Amino acid sequence: MSDQDGVTPLWRKIIVNRFVLVPATIAVAIVLWNLYVSTHDHGVVAGRVVDADGRPVAGATVVLWVLNFTTYVEKTRATTDSAGRFVITDNDSHNIRLAAEKPGIGRSARVPVRLYFRAQDVELREALMLSGAS
Amino acid sequence: MHRYPRWPIHLALIGVSFVMLIPFYWVLKTSVTGENIFAYPPSILPKAPHPFYYVDVWYYIPFARYFLNSVVVSALAVVANVIFNAMAGYSLTRDFRAKPFVLLLFLSCMMVPFQATIIPAYLITGKLGLLDSYWGLALPQCSTIVCIFVFKASFDAVPRSLIDAARIDGLSEWRIIWKIMMPLAKGAIATNVILGFIWSWNNFLWPLIVTRSAEMQTLPLGLARFLSYQEDTTGALYAFCIMVLAPGILLFLLAQKEFIRGLTSGATKG
Repeated sequence: MSDQDGVTPLWRKIIVNRFVLVPATIAVAIVLWNLYVSTHDHGVVAGRVVDADGRPVAGATVVLWVLNFTTYVEKTRATTDSAGRFVITDNDSHNIRLAAEKPGIGRSARVPVRLYFRAQDVELREALMLSGAS
Repeated sequence: MHRYPRWPIHLALIGVSFVMLIPFYWVLKTSVTGENIFAYPPSILPKAPHPFYYVDVWYYIPFARYFLNSVVVSALAVVANVIFNAMAGYSLTRDFRAKPFVLLLFLSCMMVPFQATIIPAYLITGKLGLLDSYWGLALPQCSTIVCIFVFKASFDAVPRSLIDAARIDGLSEWRIIWKIMMPLAKGAIATNVILGFIWSWNNFLWPLIVTRSAEMQTLPLGLARFLSYQEDTTGALYAFCIMVLAPGILLFLLAQKEFIRGLTSGATKG
């Protein structure tokens, strides 16, 4: 027995070693991540729709596609308000695509959105831009 | 003072380590970029890395379930390995009439591939009613001959006088193993834990045969299932590989000091 063994308390020797600290750190990270997920998984996808000049488009139809194994299928639709904002509240996927359309103004490209977990609440950073009359 | 400079050796070792780490780096890089592995010229650094292939793997297959199955089976195999191999290893340090025959039997059995014994192993597991169960998955891996010899080498290094003293003090053989030998064989235990874990973790053929329901499948079977699902698998496949490899690498890194000590114990005498 070394002097160090005589001084160090038993609980410290049991707890402060890599076989405990590393799994404990991983466990804490998992718990924190799951807490974050459970508070941010309401399936809300929000964003804006603008025209080619950057002005909000009211009454545009936004379509949400979700990945169904190998292909994307339409999940739901929403309509923009007077400020060009839309909110979809029932997304349950982690791999989605969004596109907007309004007759007379045009349609946007289909934008892929990757999420870190299913039904993650997300606010699109870039607005869906309509271009080319449909 | 060393007689010769050591930097050439270190330089060579760094070079060899670098070469051996390249495949791991490539797998890791592809798992965060999804780049075509046959692209030429290859890009050394990842371009626009992202973690979404890992997310895909998590949701495409029941990864958590497979992971749990692998953890449970590996834990059973590791615990059984340590207990049974220690008992067998200790017995081989004792003198008994058939010891040379037993040693020869063990060594010769190491040459028999598992594929050759898989039918009797399956029938025995079936007779025991353990098909499609955790115990059935772990059963053939509950003891391995290599690990028995690791324990034997470690126990051989313990002075005979120590065991004699314990016996004079009234300890039974059973208690000598657990009270005297095992605390002195931490390296062998670590080696058993790591090898038992990795062999069980990576095992594909036995789980493929012994499992019937999807809920009992382990990660290697999940990998095969994943490959059959997906066509464009580059990024997600490599992400899956990283997720399967990570626990084994972590365990090895945690216990590598004891692992090396266990492998080299008994290599020298005196």
